[in-house]
Amino acid sequence: MNAVLCFMLLGGVIYAGLHGNMEAVSQAALAGGTDALRLVLDLMGGFLFFGGVIRLLEDAGVVSALVRVLHRPLGWLFSEPLEQEAMEAITENLAANMLGVSNAATPMGIRAAKALNRAGQNTPTAALCLFLVINATSVQLVPTTVLSLRYAAGSAQPESILLPSLAASGVSTGLGILLCKLIESRRRRG
Amino acid sequence: MIGWLLGISILLACWKRVDLFRSFSRGAKEGFENAMGIMPALAVTLISIRVFEASGIMKELSAFLSPLAAGMGLPPGVMPLLLLRPLSGSASLSLLNDILRQYGPDSRTGLVASAMMGSGETILYTCAVYLSAAGISKSRYIIPVALAGWLAGCVAAGLFFPESFA
Repeated sequence: MNAVLCFMLLGGVIYAGLHGNMEAVSQAALAGGTDALRLVLDLMGGFLFFGGVIRLLEDAGVVSALVRVLHRPLGWLFSEPLEQEAMEAITENLAANMLGVSNAATPMGIRAAKALNRAGQNTPTAALCLFLVINATSVQLVPTTVLSLRYAAGSAQPESILLPSLAASGVSTGLGILLCKLIESRRRRG
Repeated sequence: MIGWLLGISILLACWKRVDLFRSFSRGAKEGFENAMGIMPALAVTLISIRVFEASGIMKELSAFLSPLAAGMGLPPGVMPLLLLRPLSGSASLSLLNDILRQYGPDSRTGLVASAMMGSGETILYTCAVYLSAAGISKSRYIIPVALAGWLAGCVAAGLFFPESFA
């Protein structure tokens, strides 16, 4: 990310210098911070509301209910037998991620990653690769932040993206899982 | 949907005898802290994005990328999001907001961008956090596979809102 920021800032300044756009760049540089604060205000309604609702759901035991539902399909997905602790941490991480409880998801994910690398190797196992790919392709069922921004932007149908977003998310996670399985089965064969 | 979600969670919470006020306000506090916590990162990325746009390179980059967008069946306006979503959560959030404001939340560009954002993750950050926690430095095929998933998700988002849509 540092390289990208460096490219955008330095590239922007140099390009503006060559094309005589420096005035606009100076103005833009100062406007950025104000825009950030405005964006936080736009997000705040959603963050406060969903923060509260998600906490309610968590305290009502919805995450642990989802953990019970996910247990069997995940066991099947991570075909090789994993130790109890790893499987539990994986399930809890994914359940929290699906519901958007990010502060619960990260510690669980770290526990899962550690449990999956008990041997202390420097290369991730097939199970760890699969777990990370699932995590990196998003499993959140309701994209609360996107929803908040769409409401704040005055959309006539803010929720019209829920189904497409879920479908696109399914495609990305599905392809990720498929590729992992293909690569591993190829490696095993030779 | 939000109204139903609220109703269902209140019902569940009452049924499970959760302390409604305490639970909700604790969650809201976490939400507040999260929003304020990402503010500095949003400032850095928004300043970079604004400088990049004002300099005029953004236009050249867009012109360069628009055939690629056409090839993937995506509106050209979502291309910056396609590039930055896997790299940075704050940058992609800023970009999505800009897209919603510039093209309108119910335009094809706004809809596709929203669906893309909801279907993606900050791939590099996620991998870095979990792998380093496990003391692993090699990432094998994780990043290319996750990126392939991301691109497929983007194409799917584009297909959901066909050209004729809006």
